[in-house]
Amino acid sequence: MNDIPPLDPWTDVLGVELDPERRGIVLEAFRDVLAEIRKLRALDLTEVHPCVIFEPSAPYRRLAGKT
Amino acid sequence: MRHLRAERPVSPPRRQDVSRELWQDGIVAHARRIKAGKLSPVQLTQHYLDRIGRLDRKLSAFTHVSRSALETAAAAEKDIKAGRLRGPLHGVPIAIKDNYLTADMPTTAGTTAPGIAFARRDCAAAARLRRAGAVLIGKTRTHEFAWGNVTHPARNPWDLDRVPSGSSGGSGAAVAAGLCPAGMGSDTGGSIRMPASVCGTVGIKPTFGRVSREGIVPHSWSLDHPGPLTRSVADAALLMNVLAGYDPADPACQDRPVPDYAKALGKPVDGLRVGVCRNHFFERNDEDVEKAVEKAISDLASAGASIHEFRIPRLEYGLAAIFAIELASSTAYHDVSLREGRVAHYSPDVRTLVEMGRFVTAPDYLKAEQLRSLLMDDFRKAFESVDVIVGPTMPITAWKVGEWTVKVEDRDESVLSASWRFTFPYNLTGLPAISVPCGFDRRGLPIGLQIAGRPFDEATVLQVADAYERTHDWKDRTPPL
Repeated sequence: MNDIPPLDPWTDVLGVELDPERRGIVLEAFRDVLAEIRKLRALDLTEVHPCVIFEPSAPYRRLAGKT
Repeated sequence: MRHLRAERPVSPPRRQDVSRELWQDGIVAHARRIKAGKLSPVQLTQHYLDRIGRLDRKLSAFTHVSRSALETAAAAEKDIKAGRLRGPLHGVPIAIKDNYLTADMPTTAGTTAPGIAFARRDCAAAARLRRAGAVLIGKTRTHEFAWGNVTHPARNPWDLDRVPSGSSGGSGAAVAAGLCPAGMGSDTGGSIRMPASVCGTVGIKPTFGRVSREGIVPHSWSLDHPGPLTRSVADAALLMNVLAGYDPADPACQDRPVPDYAKALGKPVDGLRVGVCRNHFFERNDEDVEKAVEKAISDLASAGASIHEFRIPRLEYGLAAIFAIELASSTAYHDVSLREGRVAHYSPDVRTLVEMGRFVTAPDYLKAEQLRSLLMDDFRKAFESVDVIVGPTMPITAWKVGEWTVKVEDRDESVLSASWRFTFPYNLTGLPAISVPCGFDRRGLPIGLQIAGRPFDEATVLQVADAYERTHDWKDRTPPL
């Protein structure tokens, strides 16, 4: 028998710590934003590198600039 | 060389029937007269302080007026009399948005939420302005945490029942009303160019990485751009000369040579290739806005620029991308405030947006960053055949305070989605973009023309903006305060 409580999708998974009334208000406001984001979700971008570039040398560059 | 012709506005606003006053000049004129010993920095600073004292009760453009401005101006006066010129802004008062950290003035980032305090030190931009000799005269109002397009309770000098837009609405209103000759702004989705457009000023968002963001309260790390709002393109060029440059303290700032932007001024546009992106930017505009912008494009053609029309169909997904990036970033920045309940004290619209960011998933965010790569490449391809891209800064002019929807081409649209439709593509792509006045609507409200360029090619953007500005008198028109 498993005594571990089930995860709550709002608070545990998404980290949304809003009471149900407030959550409803924010969700409703999200409706128009979601309509746009759904378009993005439908795109096949498998071959596209995101424009966020990891740069391991950045801390050294900043350090060099301070000298 | 052919010149652009002066053009009548759609509905000319009432001109002021007074002799030219100090506040009607910009920073280039002020700096020149101070350097020549013909204008006292103390007199100039007092002049603006008097105007703030007299007019800001109507505009609410300032959140703080410097107590040491006159003292700084007196020191500048002493220096200039002794032949010591500190820099190109010696003795010139400049206002600074309330999300820029300053050592001698408090920073609130527009919030009154308890438990939030900002350091009393100069951000990189404030330090550069001071090194150039500027007198920082006060802090201008921002929409809370630079998250919005209204800047309550600031008002638009052209119609006090209307908003100055945002989030740099305080700087827009202050510059337009002549409470300062220039004001700093920050632009995450249009927050320099939108207030510039609706207040009838110039506003430039430089390339991402051109001006340091160090010490500016973050809104969205990869979208935030600092830049000035000014009375003219020449003033914007002068401020760019002061502000642009590498700063290792800003991870995004790039170590590239900075040209003399003033050299871009006074040049003709003949031979330049002007691009017009016919989708997205021209699909739904207020009739007067569209007419004024089309006229500006034909003026550029008359001056010898060649006009090249093109389309970027993927802009259809841009709104999703900026929503995902901006919401997720803002929520990450405000995470501790969310957990500790401080967000409940934010203004209702900002609170909702900050809480909403949790609904954007990590894949949504990364797909937005993928889409961004594609858009950047789309614009790169467009810039293979054009030197600048022009279009409206906004589809609308200033809307009324308390109005949350506007009618655009007989369709109701939220001001949130309409206002930044044409500005956010240049935040997503990081390209330099300027808004310059290009006329007035039938109610006498200013209209903005947006000119964008290749990465780090602010010079060509300023060249085209200056050429257009020189042949119209829009910048010399003043609101009927």
